[in-house]
Order: sequence, then structure tokens, then C-alpha cells
Amino acid sequence: MSAEITADGKPFIHHHSAHCESGVTSALFGDKGVEVSEAMIFGIGSGIFFGHLPFVKWVGLPISTFRSQPRAVFRKAAKRLGAKFITKSFRNPQKGMDELRRVLKAGQIVGLTTNIYWLSYFPNRFRFQFNGHNIIVLREIENGFRVSDPILDHPVDCLAEDLERARFAHGPLEPRGFMYYPKYIPPRPNFRQACIKGMKDTCNMMLKIPLPIFGIRGIRSMAKRIIKSPHKIGFHEACRHLANVVRMQEEVGTGGAGFRFMYAAFLQEAADLFASDELAQLSQEMTAIGDIWREFAVVSARIIKQRGQSEDNFGKAGGLMLICAGREEEFFKTLNTVVRDLKA
Amino acid sequence: MKVNEVPQDNITYYEGERRACYALNDEGKYVIVTSSGWSAEEVVNGLAVAELAAYLEETRKAVLKGLKSPLAYHMERRQMTPEILAKTAGIAVFRVKRHFRPVIFSKLNLAVLDRYARALALTLEELRTVPGKII
Repeated sequence: MSAEITADGKPFIHHHSAHCESGVTSALFGDKGVEVSEAMIFGIGSGIFFGHLPFVKWVGLPISTFRSQPRAVFRKAAKRLGAKFITKSFRNPQKGMDELRRVLKAGQIVGLTTNIYWLSYFPNRFRFQFNGHNIIVLREIENGFRVSDPILDHPVDCLAEDLERARFAHGPLEPRGFMYYPKYIPPRPNFRQACIKGMKDTCNMMLKIPLPIFGIRGIRSMAKRIIKSPHKIGFHEACRHLANVVRMQEEVGTGGAGFRFMYAAFLQEAADLFASDELAQLSQEMTAIGDIWREFAVVSARIIKQRGQSEDNFGKAGGLMLICAGREEEFFKTLNTVVRDLKA
Repeated sequence: MKVNEVPQDNITYYEGERRACYALNDEGKYVIVTSSGWSAEEVVNGLAVAELAAYLEETRKAVLKGLKSPLAYHMERRQMTPEILAKTAGIAVFRVKRHFRPVIFSKLNLAVLDRYARALALTLEELRTVPGKII
């Protein structure tokens, strides 16, 4: 946490967060005087999800995701809290940069969607071609911008040239200079109603999508795929696929265990909000599930490191994942019934 | 995960940065704790990085042998695919792929090279060579 100043001299507190999108949204609300924690935004925006797309390849590996699609958290959280945002995207990079400067001069901090590869302030190994990273620009400085990146624990400087590249990078999910800032934020949003909507939506996404690649069904199908993988595609390939899953779970700003801990934090806050013991218990259950996901990561890392020499094998890793699937199914079913009794 | 269970493995590639993790404090409340990395994460990241580096080295050797153009090397170094490079440079994919052939690459005019150089954030000099090449 560190204090910064925006273009019109207002103080801005930089919060270190686990996930870029919810962190940025929370900061934009905070700038207008409505304090919402990152976990709260994440829960209200129904950020938690699971998807395994074996037929969509990204650098030759199937995509597994522990979150809903990029920008969904921002969009849903803003809508459910009754906030109005101005969003813009551009074809012409020059126009995009001019508009950014104009809004910053007016003293408004701006959220941007960027490509993480071109943000040179990141450590090298964090940088890969991914077009869904969100940051906040605070003000213009000499040949660059002052940036509050929620993933880092301190604000940084970013060269104007780098930022332009990052905003107008090409490839899947092109950001096209996407920028957003609040137009109106209600001074007293109805948090209870928003939480209920968020939780219901999450339950639907995790339980009711009738395809075997999303939600709980997705976890099951991936677990089975992992168990079979060394026989099907060979040990080396299987390791690559497994490593990719663990990276998505732990590396890409998830707050640990593929957002499960962040969701538990949200449930804890919601439990206080509704004074509900059931939600507090569910939060503990989610923490326990998260711990199993962490164990899965440890086992997977051991398999990869020891080249199959230890007693850990793909069966054990997949087995842990099946346990997660079973417990999460129970969890979301309980949550679904608990939510129905909550009053907005 | 409790606060004291948050891994602090001082992973070197974090370069001094910290990652935020959610963990339970002594009173059972969730707080954000900064972590200096986790060894399990290092293993999976190491695998991915080593793989990319191996591909890149292979391409570099191919360039030195005259089998591929330096463009192929620089594209891989920027972790791009021909499709992404084509769109960034504003050149059709089939032309980009054609330019991976050294003979064709060496005949490219300045305007085209300049587009590639800008797309890859390189100087023209860098674009024409790969590291370790003796001219």
C-alpha cells in the first residue's frame, strides 16, 4: 500500500491485489469514495469459474481457466452495483493515446486493458503474449505515465511508447486500446442485492452449463484427461499439459489455488454483511477446497521435477482434482440453497 | 492457507517483486499477504521457459546455418506467432511466412523491413542479424 497523487492532486492509495481486473475495478470505485475490496468485486462480478477447452490451443497447449472470461468481472460488478462506466476502444492508436491524455488531464484515473508482454516494468518471466491485463493510469509524467498495476505492490512508471504498444497489441482478444472510467458511482450501492446476484450467477455457471467442459463437469473431464494423459500422449507431453494447468492455477495472479482463496475471502465478507453463519461455514469449506488445489499443485510439481521417479503419479494428481470437483459440487449446491434464503 | 503457510521461497525470477496471496490470519480473517514466490510455481514456470528457450535456440542455429531468416528468430523472441506478427506489421500472413526464407528476406526493401522493425520494436540493424552471427 502506498500513497500516490492523481493529475488533479487527489490522493490515490495503491492497493496490492491478487487479480488485475478485480483490483482495477475496486480501485476505480475507491477513487470515487466507495470502498469495495477486491474480493468483494470478484464475488459480485462472479469471477470464479472453471473451463477446460481441449480443442482451443494456445502455444500448442489446451486452455484451462479458473476464471470467467476477461472483462466479465468488471462488466458484471459495475452493473450489479449500479455504476455507470464510460468505455471506449479505438482503431487509431494516436487517437487512443490522445483521448487517454485528455481524460487524465481532467483529473480522472483510467483503467486500461493491455498486453502484458509489452509492459517492460514487469520481471521478464512474467511477460508473455496475453491481451487481458488491466492496469490503472494515474497521470502523465515526463515521456511516460504513472501506472498503478494492482499485481505489483507499488506504483511504477511506464514509457509512453511501451504503453501504446501494450494497448494496441494484436492477437487473440485484442484490447484495441480499451479504456474505462466511471461516469457515475452510487454513493451507497446495494451490496446485499449485488452479492446475491453474484452468488446466484456463480452457482449457475458452475453447476448448470450443460457442456462437459465448463464448471464442475469441466473439472471432472479435465481430471480424467490428466489421469489418462501419460498413456495417450506420452510422459513428456503430459507433463507440459499438467504444468500449464498449474500455471493457470497459481501463476497468473490468482491469489492462490486458482481464485478459490479469493472467493473464500469474498464469502467471509458476505457472511459479515448478511450476518449469516451458513456463509461463514461455506467460506471455511472453500478454504479447505483451496488447500486441496494447492496440494494438487505440489504433487504436479513433484511429478514434473522428478520425471516420474517418485510415488506421485498422474493418477494421484487427477484423483486430487476429482476430490476438488466432488467437494465443489457439494459446495455450490449448498450455496445455491443458502442464497435463496438471503434477503436483499 | 494460513498466513504462516504462504510460501516465501525467494524465487529469483521475481526480481524483487512480490505477489499478493489470500491467507487466513490468526483470528481466521482473510488478509492479503505478499509472497516472494513458491517453489512449485518455479518448477512449472521453469518447464515452460526452458521449452521456449530451446525452440528459440534451435531457430537461432537454423538462421546461422542459413535455413531460416532472422525474422523467424525475432518473431519467436517476441513470443509471437506468424498471425500476430502479420497483424501487427500489417503484412499478409502468407507473405510473413514467405519472408522466413533467407533468400527472400535478403531481397526485402526498406519499407517492408521498417514495418517489421516497428512491429517487433527493433532497429533495422538488429532485425537483420541474430546474436552470435559473424558478419
